[in-house]
Amino acid sequence: MVDDERRMTDAANRFDGYLEALLGDSRPSPEAVDDNDEAGMARMAAELAASGRPASDASPDPAFIEQLRLRMRQADAGVTAIRRPPPVRDQPQPDGTRRWRLSRRQLLQAGLGAATGVAVGVIGASLRSEAQRRAGMGEDDQPLVAGEGFWTQVARLDEVPPGSALRFSTAAFDGFVVNDGGTVRALSSVCTHMGCTLHFRPDWQDLRCPCHDASFDLAGRLANGRVTWRAQGAYPGDARAYPIELPDLVRPRVKVEDEAVWVWTAQA
Amino acid sequence: MSTAPGPFEQVYDKHAVAIYRFIYARVGNHPDAEDLTAGVFVRAVEQLDTGREPGQVAAWLYRVAQNAIADHWRAFYRLPLVGADHVAPGWEPVDEGGRAPAEPDDRAGIRVQALLRRLPDHYRRVLELRFLERMSVAETAHSMGISSGNARVLQYRALRRAALLGDPTDG
Repeated sequence: MVDDERRMTDAANRFDGYLEALLGDSRPSPEAVDDNDEAGMARMAAELAASGRPASDASPDPAFIEQLRLRMRQADAGVTAIRRPPPVRDQPQPDGTRRWRLSRRQLLQAGLGAATGVAVGVIGASLRSEAQRRAGMGEDDQPLVAGEGFWTQVARLDEVPPGSALRFSTAAFDGFVVNDGGTVRALSSVCTHMGCTLHFRPDWQDLRCPCHDASFDLAGRLANGRVTWRAQGAYPGDARAYPIELPDLVRPRVKVEDEAVWVWTAQA
Repeated sequence: MSTAPGPFEQVYDKHAVAIYRFIYARVGNHPDAEDLTAGVFVRAVEQLDTGREPGQVAAWLYRVAQNAIADHWRAFYRLPLVGADHVAPGWEPVDEGGRAPAEPDDRAGIRVQALLRRLPDHYRRVLELRFLERMSVAETAHSMGISSGNARVLQYRALRRAALLGDPTDG
């Protein structure tokens, strides 16, 4: 009896952590949900949270809408280009990508690129090369290090035990802190194919793209491409290999200090 | 620069905000709503024939949005992921030929209201205070004259009851 009560209290406290994230409008993690009952509760909580907000708060961020519109414009400018997958690269290069929230200046630059009819595949690619140029892309571990940058604390070390991943956002960067069997890394959460946001799958120890099912390992390399299939026979859970090779995820520099994980990010 | 919007941009201008709200009403937070909305329109660029008649375009977008939401929640369920089509009961992706809901924005809200009315008083109260009044646990507890620990347990039980009562599956 006492055990039941304790269990209930523990579950209620844990689930409240999930609700705090939801109500604080950050991204609540499926990891905080323990069973299918709680999954149903999470869905119910999402609807309650949405219905409790005034209509103005339920509207999209104008910057997000504008950014996505540019992608549509790009598609209109060259539908064939956007349909063509990026070229296969034998030696994937670390790459700089950005998520939706871009500065006005970047939006303008992207818009200009579209207007002049530059034949880039997707808008992510044009921004990538732009970010690359400005950041002066360097060595493996310092893809985002420009002249200006700073260390940001993104997690406590005890929040990322081996085999886990934690989402973080800084002004300029969205990513995961991952603990790959004791090695802590930071990886971009942006798929290098079309810029969709990856999610962590603990059972597979990978970062998975919801758009086209690319999987990246915890070192940021494509894990379910044809090369891997040839080497390993298959990728767990997948019916077939991911058809094209993709560049590695961006890997900003990381340090562990004072029991905290710090990530070096470029100035926004 | 001053050329008229192309077909994708036109579809986007007409539907983006409504699709976003449709998704937001079901995932309840903006980061996820942004990801899923972007996914819908990325897919539109790849697969949508913008030459279809407007009603079909809308139906297509809502169908893709509903599937995206179902995929999103699938990650919350402890299921053996044997194949991409395997989803929890009640969460089957909408079939081809599905229609756009007439008032997609309001349905989730209306369902929530109806559901709250069916809950016992103290369950309804704790959910109203936490989700509609957006009180903290401490404020909720104070308002109900209970401890914070009890307020957490109460909101947990209330959500569980609500989830059992109203499977929020979209038709």
